[in-house]
Amino acid sequence: MPISGLGPHGERGQSPDLLRLSDEEIERARAGKFKVALVLHTTKSDWAKQHLVGIAKTLGDHGAALIDVADCSYDAAKQVAHFERLIADRPDAIISIPVGNSVVAESHRNAAKAGIKVILLDNVPTGLLPERDYVSLISADNFGLGEMAAQLLSPHMAPETAVGILAYDKDFFATNEREIAFRRWIEIHRPDLRIQQSRFSEALLANVAMSALVNGTTKISGVFAVWDEVAMPAIRVLKGLGISLPMTTVDLGDDVALALAEGEIMQGIAAQRPYDQGVAAARSTILSLIGRQPPPWVALPGLAVTRETVIQSYQVIWHMPPSPELVKQVLRAQG
Amino acid sequence: MLADEGRKAIPVTQTNSDSVVNLQKPEQEMMTSGKPRRVDAERSSLAQLLNIIRDGDADTRQELERVTGLGRAVISDRLATLFAHNLLVEGELGQTTGGRAPRTIRFNANVGLLLVATIEPSRLGVAIADLSGNLVAEHHEAADMAIGPSHMLKRLITLFDWVLEQHQGTRAVWGIGIAAPGPVEEFPLASPRLRFLPGWDEFPIVDHLLAKYHAPVWMRSGVQMMAYGEYKTGNAAGTGDLIYVNLSQNISAGIISEGHLHRGAQGGAGLIGHVAVGDGHDLRCSCGNVGCLETVAGVEAIGREGLALANAGSSRHLADALASEGLVTAGDVGMAAQSGDSAAAEILARAGKYIGTALASLVNAFNPSLISLGGDVGQTDDILLASIREAVYRRSHPLVTRDLRIQRSAMGSSAGLSGAALVVADAIFESASVVDWISSGSPAKAAIVSVVVARAEQQINGPQTKPLPPAAA
Repeated sequence: MPISGLGPHGERGQSPDLLRLSDEEIERARAGKFKVALVLHTTKSDWAKQHLVGIAKTLGDHGAALIDVADCSYDAAKQVAHFERLIADRPDAIISIPVGNSVVAESHRNAAKAGIKVILLDNVPTGLLPERDYVSLISADNFGLGEMAAQLLSPHMAPETAVGILAYDKDFFATNEREIAFRRWIEIHRPDLRIQQSRFSEALLANVAMSALVNGTTKISGVFAVWDEVAMPAIRVLKGLGISLPMTTVDLGDDVALALAEGEIMQGIAAQRPYDQGVAAARSTILSLIGRQPPPWVALPGLAVTRETVIQSYQVIWHMPPSPELVKQVLRAQG
Repeated sequence: MLADEGRKAIPVTQTNSDSVVNLQKPEQEMMTSGKPRRVDAERSSLAQLLNIIRDGDADTRQELERVTGLGRAVISDRLATLFAHNLLVEGELGQTTGGRAPRTIRFNANVGLLLVATIEPSRLGVAIADLSGNLVAEHHEAADMAIGPSHMLKRLITLFDWVLEQHQGTRAVWGIGIAAPGPVEEFPLASPRLRFLPGWDEFPIVDHLLAKYHAPVWMRSGVQMMAYGEYKTGNAAGTGDLIYVNLSQNISAGIISEGHLHRGAQGGAGLIGHVAVGDGHDLRCSCGNVGCLETVAGVEAIGREGLALANAGSSRHLADALASEGLVTAGDVGMAAQSGDSAAAEILARAGKYIGTALASLVNAFNPSLISLGGDVGQTDDILLASIREAVYRRSHPLVTRDLRIQRSAMGSSAGLSGAALVVADAIFESASVVDWISSGSPAKAAIVSVVVARAEQQINGPQTKPLPPAAA
């Protein structure tokens, strides 16, 4: 599947297939006994857990030790503090998801200056450059995910109405791309729809943003939530008000998978492949540590998930069987 | 610094013709008897102080007195004006030289903002920047120039509006920079236009942006903006003599010589894709000649050779690309070469040899210390880079290659955005320009901008006819 977005510096997305290591390179990596730290925005989301599994396994396969997993709780100040500590600890590499823009840029730059390889997930603070400040960015094709979410929502949207966007108010590469792509798809393919957005600063406050959307002067007839943890509080708001609006989102977390199977509000999910993205991040890390330069942006295509495909998609994305609850829900919906 | 460019820049038409300069200055403020009136002297000293602080040459009142030779009272008066316009902010305490530590003064780069864009044959990038030319946020997406200038402008404005909604707050747009997909020619009393791009050359893109955002617009050829961005913020930072080569749809070069961007008489410097590669090449180029570098080493040439390999069954990778996509692109050839396909690698090695040979002439002429390779093809793989290096070193005089570095740019399309932001910031704060807008507090409020906006609106909408008087009852 082609990558429709461009990277943070306009790069073409490169396939994770380019990150393959030869047997000789794998031996060299194992002999290096590298130490790697991981800095995540949170360790609690399904997306983060899947990344962690993919990274830990792949590093282990290549003889590298995952010596630290830091949880920033979406807090830039915490990330800066974690970086100060890690730079002093001197791991060979840090895999990090920058939780902000300029406020965390210097920490990442300092790690690179200290000779630590920095591999980024999902976001590049403005001004950081590949090769100089970081090795590579690993992410989903977030632009493609935004287009996919729009395409999944479109058949459920009545003509000449308004579509709501629950948009993140932080300057973050992945969510910016999704929002821009969603808007662009609607403007091109559904010019009859008006776009109404409501911004939130953290996922927990998405309920406030959702309430603002439904209570606004413009009546909306569908919603796009920029990721699954945002969709869930929004769904609770709608259910509390007894409103059934079609919604799509990004990321196949456990809760939204159930909501999709339930079939009331969630109509489709543009899913990332967080486990595979974790594998790609670990491979980029190993390659850089043995002296090979990975592509500046490694992008993985998304997967469109509907009620009919949710079980199979779950297996592809999570690399494990779906929960009995999800299976039961799907079977119940199928009658 | 682009001092010469900046001097021309504030008149949005980017010309220094007398007629335009006269438009800038209200009658009562014109020079008289060859001697500047008091108001001009005041504005000159305001511009001088602002730029000394902005360049970091002084950051306390005492240092300003020492650097400028102006008296304490004059310094205090001018600083009060600059603070009133929010162009300066108080900083932390500075170093004491005996007595009380002085309060430092900093340039407020966030009093306004810049919008910049790069339009390339296959992509569009936008960014917002502070008044020091630092990018604050950027976005790039695929776009095909074949959609035409009108649709591209519509998308550009949509994206500009989106980044403004995200970042503008209460700040005004002080200037707009466009890295254009080809040479840009300037005219007295008219906005600059793109050249040699069918369908684009008569389209008033600058006028549309002027009319929409009411801010001065600077448009330059993309490769020149990229060269300036690479020179100031990329791996070439601090390298005064640089050739930036854009290897993408077209092959072009931006030349920084002794810290100055060389633009050429018609703004077309660096069209190295049209250097003749010698006898034996008879493919016709878009410029009308035969045997241009682009016809043997450009994106189309690389794709064409890749297609031939795929059809001949000489490359499994390229045959797969042809089967799945129905075509073979230069990107496919690069990917195949990266995956170890020797036939694809050979195509890139050959292209690199031609490019390197053409670059050797520039190296002999300009003696740069760095060649930075950008563009999609420039990023493909090490084989192309090695081949270019070999040809440059072999075909250049030993003296000019003694300390020459040839490397890939890490900036991607951000080079064009960064260069555009720096060109605009330099132009706005060039002393002669500051004098023109300082009394109104920002370039967007300067009298000249109202004039050129009105002219742009007229250009877009056609001449306004005088309304007829109402019919008699």
